[in-house]
Amino acid sequence: MDHPERNGKGLFMAIYRWPAGWDPLQGLRTMHRELERFLGDGITSAARRIGGGSYPPVNVWNGPEEMVVQCEVPGVSRDEIELSITGETLVIKGTKKPPAEEAQARYQRRERGYGDFNRTIVLPDKVEAEQVEASLKAGILSVRLPKSEAARPRRIQVK
Amino acid sequence: MTEQQKVQVNAEPARRSETADTSAPLVDIYEREDGTIVIEAELPGVEVDGVDIGVDKGVLSLEAQANVPELGEGFSCTYAGFGAERFFRAFALSDGVDRDGIHAEMADGVLTVTLPRAAAARSRKIEIKQG
Repeated sequence: MDHPERNGKGLFMAIYRWPAGWDPLQGLRTMHRELERFLGDGITSAARRIGGGSYPPVNVWNGPEEMVVQCEVPGVSRDEIELSITGETLVIKGTKKPPAEEAQARYQRRERGYGDFNRTIVLPDKVEAEQVEASLKAGILSVRLPKSEAARPRRIQVK
Repeated sequence: MTEQQKVQVNAEPARRSETADTSAPLVDIYEREDGTIVIEAELPGVEVDGVDIGVDKGVLSLEAQANVPELGEGFSCTYAGFGAERFFRAFALSDGVDRDGIHAEMADGVLTVTLPRAAAARSRKIEIKQG
């Protein structure tokens, strides 16, 4: 098949990528931070209390050598979580199972949800996919993603 | 499921810090066929030693402090969806619960409190004797 990107006619542009470090939502993010500081309590925690936000909640940390994604998945066991990484996109998939004895249980209150979940996270940098490590502790999943060689900071000697 | 770890149930109410911002954990409450009541509370990031359960004056109170692994210097937060939360919730117990038989376990950030039915509260079949 004649690929539009390779046929030299330039009919289609490649998908534009934002340059690293430039954030089109910078202004909004600053405002969010300012508001959060002003309210003291934190919008994120307030939103969580009323059940807002996507499930499962995640934290994304960016370090010089690696990135860390933390994800809250209480009641989900190790073998029910599936992680996959493509380029800079991390996908967390899983299933939250109801208690086994549900058939004979008479529920008085049901607040925890059950079922499949799926969250896609676009990471700040490229990842060395082979070296990604994940661990689960007390219902928190931590994924360590070492940055690819090209994305790591390098010192340049001035001659 | 990782192994269930036992949680101590105290005779005093759980300490509750009035100043700290607490949130109520999500719970499922169900009754088993034998009348045992089970409370399952979602406490992500909470380890066994971070939970405080107390049964006092007919109230079961639970307090827990989550612990989100800290990252060293040099890490900046790109996206924040949750933090190390403090949880608190209290439940009124009916007279039918055997107070001394209450026990709790923790696994994968979920606390399971089992409240057995008191012997006196179990329904008994009463035989009618011929007079």
